[in-house]
Amino acid sequence: MKYLGKKIITLIMTLFLVSAAAFLAFQIIPGDVVASILGTEATPEREEALREELGFNDPPLVRYGKWAAGVLRGDLGVSYRYSKNMNEMMPVAELIGDKLPVTLWLAALSLALIILVSIPLGVLWAKSRSHALDAVLGVITQATMAVPSFFLGILVTWLFGILLKWFAPGGYVGYRENFWGFLSYLLFPAISIALPKIAMTARFLRNSMLTEMGADYVRTAYSKGCSRKRVMYGHVLRNAMMPVITFLGMIVAEIVAGSIVVEQVFGLPGIGRLLISSISTRDFPVVEILILYITFVVIFVYFLVDILYKVVDPRIS
Amino acid sequence: MIKIEDLSVAFGGTEVVKHVSLELREGEILGIVGESGSGKSVTALTLMGLVSEAAQVTTGRILFDDVVLREAGKPCDLRIYRKYRGAEMSQVFQEPQTSLNPVQKAGKQVEEVLRLHTKLTGEEIRTKVLETFQAVGLHDAERVYASYPHQLSGGMRQRVMIAMAVILHPRLIVADEPTTALDVTIQNQIVELLRKINKEQKNAMLFITHDLHLARRLCHRVAVMKDGCVVETGTAEEVFDHPSQDYTKRLVEAVPSRVKGKSGIRGRSGELSAAEADSGTSESPEGRKAGNGISEVPEERKAGSRISEVSEERKTGGEISEVSEERRAGGGTSKVPGERSAGSSGAAPVLSVRNLSVYYQDGKSTLSQEQAEGQGRKKISLGSRLFQKRGQCVVWNADFEIYSGESLGLVGESGCGKTSLSKAILGMNRHIEGEIVHNSVRPQMVFQDPYSSLNPAKTIGWLLQEPLRAAGALDKSLAMTRADRETAARDMLRRVGMDERYFDRRPSELSGGQRQRVSIAQALITNPGFIIADEPVSALDVTIQAQIMELFLKLQEEMHLACLFISHDINVVYRMCDRIMVMKEGHIIETGETEEVFAHPKEDYTKLLLWGS
Amino acid sequence: MKKENGKKWNKYLYAGIVMTGIAVVLGIVGFFWTPYSTTAMSAAEKFSAPSLRHPFGTDNFGRDIFSRVMRGLGATMLISSLVVFFSGLAGILLGAVTGYFGGILDEVVMRITDALNGFPSILLTLVIISLLGTGRQNVIISMSLVFIPSFVRIVRGEFIRLRDADYIRRARMMEVGKFRILFVHILPNVFSVFWVSVMIGFNNAILAESGMSYLGIGVQPPDASLGNMLSDAQGYLQSAPWCALAPGLTIVWLVLGFSLFSEGIRRRASAAGV
Repeated sequence: MKYLGKKIITLIMTLFLVSAAAFLAFQIIPGDVVASILGTEATPEREEALREELGFNDPPLVRYGKWAAGVLRGDLGVSYRYSKNMNEMMPVAELIGDKLPVTLWLAALSLALIILVSIPLGVLWAKSRSHALDAVLGVITQATMAVPSFFLGILVTWLFGILLKWFAPGGYVGYRENFWGFLSYLLFPAISIALPKIAMTARFLRNSMLTEMGADYVRTAYSKGCSRKRVMYGHVLRNAMMPVITFLGMIVAEIVAGSIVVEQVFGLPGIGRLLISSISTRDFPVVEILILYITFVVIFVYFLVDILYKVVDPRIS
Repeated sequence: MIKIEDLSVAFGGTEVVKHVSLELREGEILGIVGESGSGKSVTALTLMGLVSEAAQVTTGRILFDDVVLREAGKPCDLRIYRKYRGAEMSQVFQEPQTSLNPVQKAGKQVEEVLRLHTKLTGEEIRTKVLETFQAVGLHDAERVYASYPHQLSGGMRQRVMIAMAVILHPRLIVADEPTTALDVTIQNQIVELLRKINKEQKNAMLFITHDLHLARRLCHRVAVMKDGCVVETGTAEEVFDHPSQDYTKRLVEAVPSRVKGKSGIRGRSGELSAAEADSGTSESPEGRKAGNGISEVPEERKAGSRISEVSEERKTGGEISEVSEERRAGGGTSKVPGERSAGSSGAAPVLSVRNLSVYYQDGKSTLSQEQAEGQGRKKISLGSRLFQKRGQCVVWNADFEIYSGESLGLVGESGCGKTSLSKAILGMNRHIEGEIVHNSVRPQMVFQDPYSSLNPAKTIGWLLQEPLRAAGALDKSLAMTRADRETAARDMLRRVGMDERYFDRRPSELSGGQRQRVSIAQALITNPGFIIADEPVSALDVTIQAQIMELFLKLQEEMHLACLFISHDINVVYRMCDRIMVMKEGHIIETGETEEVFAHPKEDYTKLLLWGS
Repeated sequence: MKKENGKKWNKYLYAGIVMTGIAVVLGIVGFFWTPYSTTAMSAAEKFSAPSLRHPFGTDNFGRDIFSRVMRGLGATMLISSLVVFFSGLAGILLGAVTGYFGGILDEVVMRITDALNGFPSILLTLVIISLLGTGRQNVIISMSLVFIPSFVRIVRGEFIRLRDADYIRRARMMEVGKFRILFVHILPNVFSVFWVSVMIGFNNAILAESGMSYLGIGVQPPDASLGNMLSDAQGYLQSAPWCALAPGLTIVWLVLGFSLFSEGIRRRASAAGV
């Protein structure tokens, strides 16, 4: 319980620090924001009015306080770039709300693929005593890990989309319109994200199992009369999985990163694309919220991994 | 019952077990003794079918009741072994720390044996496991049953291992160094337990050890192995009292024993160093004669008489000038006068420790995890309060001094505070109360593990010069030229009995014994006057152990060195030290002349330590 | 058995050396000379398929892809090397000091690296770039900053491990100076682990750089880079797949070659250690 409390406090602290760092960092940037929003319509009076409206005249800490209080209430601020209509600015919440599920589903699908494929593959690999299989898997995983996810996305598009015609590139279906269509379109981007990670995880699990198989307790298990199979599944696997859990936790951050890029490749309207476009148009309120949001997801996953670890490993107190 | 016939085992072309034949009868304990690398463990693992797949049986076979378990040229047949292992034959391993599955409860791990070999129901299995736990001395059986291995002490873990091995009353138990990783007092209990099991269950036992005392105490018959061959077999008495082979004789002699005290060895060290071709520091004949003379001095010695002996020797010995020079350079120049003089001689102590209490450092533990476990877990049922209290103060009111040229032994089990005390003396732990007064310039330390005490990235020559460079950087008057440093380093290398060609090699090219020699050389090259030796020979094989101890004694005499000698091995201390201190749970419970303490121990705990080994 | 192992590492190492070697030579030559100009357009030779004249074909402006790949390869490797050099150096300094001395500085640095380590590195680079603006120097600066924590972590871990090694304790007892302990006694023992992380870091830098250029925030057109060639070519995947395959496979070639090379070295080191 104490452990849990400590972890939660760390989680909140990190979020606080990241939000403050992100917010203040964007304050340092030379403030040509107002001028660039108004563009050709800029006059000193209008600029001043907008500055006042956006609260630019307050000191940075006050602005952070207002912003943070707003975020806690669910008011995420307004975008500099997008507007609802001529007079109303676009709230960031609305802008993001639509795109979040796309990215979340993409990440979840990728993670599911990674876990479902890499664990059996890793176990099979560790068990395989045939030299050929070992070598083949070694070469395949080594090569897969060398392919960057955006190129993998292009390869997948070319192979499955253009040559095999299993899906129509660019034929994205919204999740509100046809959920299954949406998921099946996501499958290919998810494969592009997952493949290199599958190779890494399978490799990692295999190495972990081989290490554990040399451990003393394995010898003890054999001396009790256990069969090879029983030793593998009854003793080795659970011990070998522990570092893999940590590894999978770290991969979540990379999946998020991967989805930013892969959304670009497959033209998915997720938060990754929004982030890239907001960065290039310097739409900082959106960038801040997205960073905070991604940080939250990543830290929360780490938190879950910590808890899971504690459940699996009795040695951690 | 068990027959090993002409067994040879090879790893990738090199044979590590060569034509070994052994026989084991029902109810008999056969000891296999030998130094590390002698092939004793591989023999046992091959018998159990647990040797790695890279190993090949090249000749011979293994029979269990005339059933062939393993034959030359054939791979290990798991189907046969699966039936025998656990039920008919079982093994107790050396490392109870790692030999249990860390993520499974102890009870479940023992249960697995029953699940594999019997058709008992869940409830019956549980009852049987609890009974067995009781039988192997785990009285809090229910709690042990539900504990994970890390929650148990080393001794308890080993008892769990034994419970696992004996629960089905197998006809053969292989015990591979089952007590090596344990403290002396626990060691005894485990040995007695094995003896009891052997008596009650009448099973045959193969007991593998490097500890000759232990083999002699427990085994009916003994086989001595060297370089993969059995060099001698016979009853324990025959082998140890009348060894017929040279190697066995050497082995038996090398073991530090109560028969020869420090004085005896002193005499021999002279001869040996002269016999060593490499060492250029052989003493003059007179010196050796004086040395020999000392061995006949009656045992009762006092600190005062000890010192007078040394001065006598200096008169007769051939290296008077050098010794006195070193004394001036080293600890001789006493800046802080000792508060108390040593009996009649009046010399100032090199180190005096007054009322010293050492506290646990927060975060960076002064006790290693393992040590803390060793001392804490035993009492865990009494509540963690006791453990916490001990975690705060690890040494209570230590009060002693060490005089020039004297070696003081510090004995105790792991976790008793030996290491904490030594760290405090060297200023590595500043959470202390009391007073530590040094009269030596820069006390040095020799560590237990020869593999970690030399920087692997440097050459031996560099390592030996580094203390001189450091001293020169601190005190410009001690700065030396490059050539002088090199000469000094080469000289020191010779003095520890090593050839100069090692000067440009790296530690990885040296054996354990050689590394320990370099370690000693590095500690002594600046003439520190006082060193702490923390288990300097415990990690070495017996024959190497003897050589290093002799080197120590020789150098101590030559350099007139004071030494705090820390060890858990009472026999080593007996051989090395003039006085000893016994430490238990942070307290120094007994101090006295070595001979006196051995002859008339006052404390029960000391008796336990003495009789235990 | 030993022989067999020996053969195995040879294979990895040789394959790695050959692959990396070719890439390095092409990249370096590409800075000074390319078969065709990397920017010269030619409407007549638009989308010509790979041939003897144009081994990798030409793109939508009729530019020779092989020449552009050479130039891009050089740019990618140069940027990655600089990134690894700067961040590795900073990592050694910070890691050594924090690992050996601990204390408040260590606390602060570790909190920061912990927070950054969990953060997707590409995201962090994007944030820094959005602050600094796009362009080659800014890519180098931001990637160097982002790569520092992983080096700090590894170096710090090693220094903590070795801080209490017996031989370092003995160096302290000899009263060797602190600076000398850090950089003369400990550092040489850290290198073997450090090199492995440098190699991994180099690979990650290649992937990150080409990723950024792909997203349009790294090397800016008309300068050739493997990443921006890929994003340009994506639109013509159906008609001219070679436009995408050439730069893509070049990245794979480079990363694979380098990881084979480092794997080979690792195996040789562990074989020598046994």
